[in-house]
Amino acid sequence: MIHDFGIVWSERSLLLSGLGNTTILSGLSAVAALLVGFGLTPALMSKQRWFAWIARGFVDGMRCVPFLLFAYIVYYGLPSLGLRLDNWTSGLLALTIYNAAYMAEILRGAWASQPREPIEAGVAFGFSSLSLFRRIVVPPLLLAAGPVIGNQVIQIVKDSAFLTIIALPELTHAAASIQSRHYVPFAAFITAVVLYWGLCLVIEAGVTTVDRMAASRR
Amino acid sequence: MSAGDLLAILQGAVVTVTLSLAGILIGLPIGLALAILRWADVPVVARVVAVYVSILRATPLVTLLLLLFFALPNIGIAIGPISAAILALVMNTAAFNCEVWRASLMNFPKDQYEAAQSVGMNAPLRFRRIVLPQIVRVSLPGLVNEMSLLIKVTPVLAVVGVVDITRAAVRIGAETYDPLPPFLVAIALYAPIVFLLVSLQRWIERRQLKALAA
Amino acid sequence: MRDVTKVLDVVGISKNFGDLEVLRDISFQVQKGETVCVLGPSGSGKSTLLRCVNWLERPDAGQIYLNGREIGITTGGVVMGDRELSKIRTHIGMVFQHFALWPHLTVLQNLMEAPVQVQKRPKAEVRDEALALLAKVGLSDKRDVFPAKLSGGQKQRVGIARALAMKPDLLLFDEPTSALDPELVGEVLVVMRELAREGMTMVIVTHEMGFAREAATRVLFLDRGRVVETGSPEQFFSNPETDRARQFIQRYAGDRPPAAGVK
Repeated sequence: MIHDFGIVWSERSLLLSGLGNTTILSGLSAVAALLVGFGLTPALMSKQRWFAWIARGFVDGMRCVPFLLFAYIVYYGLPSLGLRLDNWTSGLLALTIYNAAYMAEILRGAWASQPREPIEAGVAFGFSSLSLFRRIVVPPLLLAAGPVIGNQVIQIVKDSAFLTIIALPELTHAAASIQSRHYVPFAAFITAVVLYWGLCLVIEAGVTTVDRMAASRR
Repeated sequence: MSAGDLLAILQGAVVTVTLSLAGILIGLPIGLALAILRWADVPVVARVVAVYVSILRATPLVTLLLLLFFALPNIGIAIGPISAAILALVMNTAAFNCEVWRASLMNFPKDQYEAAQSVGMNAPLRFRRIVLPQIVRVSLPGLVNEMSLLIKVTPVLAVVGVVDITRAAVRIGAETYDPLPPFLVAIALYAPIVFLLVSLQRWIERRQLKALAA
Repeated sequence: MRDVTKVLDVVGISKNFGDLEVLRDISFQVQKGETVCVLGPSGSGKSTLLRCVNWLERPDAGQIYLNGREIGITTGGVVMGDRELSKIRTHIGMVFQHFALWPHLTVLQNLMEAPVQVQKRPKAEVRDEALALLAKVGLSDKRDVFPAKLSGGQKQRVGIARALAMKPDLLLFDEPTSALDPELVGEVLVVMRELAREGMTMVIVTHEMGFAREAATRVLFLDRGRVVETGSPEQFFSNPETDRARQFIQRYAGDRPPAAGVK
C-alpha cells in the first residue's frame, strides 16, 4: 500500500496538472456563470412577460437536465448542427451555461430578500445606473448570497469531474490514468478524493471570510 | 432513430429509475442515522460522521464510483458495476441527507423535547413520537431536493458500464451518427421526472408556509 | 427512607453555569397539598431551581427526594440513566412558560400521548379521563383542534391538563403566565387556584404577586441563587423580614394591577 502511494507520488506532476485544470476550469466557469447569471436575473424578474418567460424556461430547463447529458449535447450534439468544439471549450461552455441558470436563481432569491431603501437612497444621492449597480446593489447582494454561491462553486468543482468522460484532463482523469497504467486504484483515487476535499475546504474558507465580512456589516 | 433504439433508451430508463430508487430509499434512513449520531453527540462516532459527511459532500460522484469499483476488488472485496453504482449513490446521498436531517434536528424546539422528558418519556419514545414526526415534515423539501439531485447524477454510472438513459442515448448516437435525436429523447425522459420532484418540493414548501401563517 | 408526608425534599442544591453560580445551597420541603410560590427578581435562579427538581437541569451538588426516593442518583450512588429518570418523571408534572405543546398532535392527543405511551394505560380509559380534564379546564370544544389554532391562555390550560393527565404527585409551574397577554392571564390563574383548592401539591415560579398572595400556602423568596426568606404569604407580603424582600415587594407588588379574573 505504501508502495502504491509511492507510485502516485512519482506521478504527482500529472495529478497536480489535473488539479490545476480542475481549478482553472471551475474557477473560470464559476466567474462566467455568475456574470451570465447577473444578466439572467433581471430577465427573470422582467416586467415584460415574454422575456421573463423565456428566462424562466431556460433556468427551469437547465435544472431539469442532468449536467452530464448537457455536456454530451454540447460536445457530441452540436457538431451535427455544424458547431464542432474541442473538449476544453465544450466543457467550459457546458459548465458555464448550466451553472448560470443556478446562479441566476440564487441571485434572484438573494435579491428578493434585500432591503430596498439603501438603493433608493443611492438613486436619491444621484448614482447613475451603472455605478449604482456596481457600488450599491452588487456588494451587499454578493455578501448576502456568499454561502449559497460558495455551495454552487463546490457543485461546479464536482460537475467538472464529469468531464473526464469527454477526456478532459482534469483531476479525476489524471487519477484514472494513473490507476489504469500502474494498477494502484486505491492510492490513486483516494489521493484524488483528498485533493477534492482540500479544494472544497479552501472554497469553504473563502465563504467563511465573505460571511465574516457580511456579519461585521450587518 | 428506430423503434429498437427507442426501446433501448427506455430500457435505460428502467435502469435509471431502479438505481435512483435504490439510492434514495437506502440513503434516506442512513442519512437520518448519521444525523442522529451527530445530534446525540456520541463520542468519537460523531466526529467520524462529521468528517465522513464533509469528505463525501466534496467528492464528485464519478471519482467515488471509480474508487469503489476499482479499489475494492484490489483490497479483496469483489464488487460488480450495479453494486458499486448503488453503493456510490447511497454513500453520496446519505451524506447530503444527513445535513438536511441535522438542520431540522438542530432547530427542533427545545421546550417540546423537555415537555416530553417531563412526562417521563424515555429517549426512544421521545424520538419516535415527538421528534421524528416533526423533523420529517421540516426536512421534506430538502430531502426531495436531494432526490432530484440524485437522479441528475445517475448518468455518471456509465463509467462503470451501467447502461442508463444517457449511456443508451450516447451509444445510439454513435451508431447512427445522429446524436441529437436520442439526446432529445433522453431529455424528454429526465425532465418530467425531475420536474415532478421539483414541483413536489415547491408544493410542500408552499403548504408548510401556509400552515405557519394560519 | 425519609418521612413520606413530605412530597418534595430539596437539600443543599447548588448549580453553576460555567463561572456563574446560579443556585447556592438551596434547601426546602413541600408537604402534600401545599402550594409553594417561588418569587424573586430575574436572574435569581427560580427557573433553574424548578428544572433541577425533575432533573431537566442536573444539580452540581445536593439531593432531591420525591416521596422519600432520591431523584437523579441511584441507590448505588451512580447518576441515573434515562430510563430510570423517565420513570420518576412520570410522578412529576411540569407546566412550561411557552406551553411546549406538541404541534403535530391535537389537544386531546396531547393529553393522551404520555398516559398511553409511557404509563401504558388503556386508551379508552385515558380518553375518558382526558375529556374530563379538558372539561375541567374549560376547553372541551377544542379537543380536536391543533395547538397552533389556540390562544396563549388556551394553550397553557391545555398544558396544565396535559400535566394532570399523568396523575402526578407534584406539579411544577415554570412562570406559567409570563408569556401571556395580560387579558389571558386570568383564565390560567383560575385553573391554578382551583387546583390549589383541591389539594394538589404544587411548586409555582411566578411573577403574579396577587396570585401568590391569594393561593399560596407558602412563599419562597429567592435572590441571587439563595433562599433569602420563606413564610406564609400574609407574613411575607405585609411584614417581610429582610430588606431585599422589602425592596422586591415594593417594586413588583405595587405597580401591576391584579390580573383579570383573580379576586
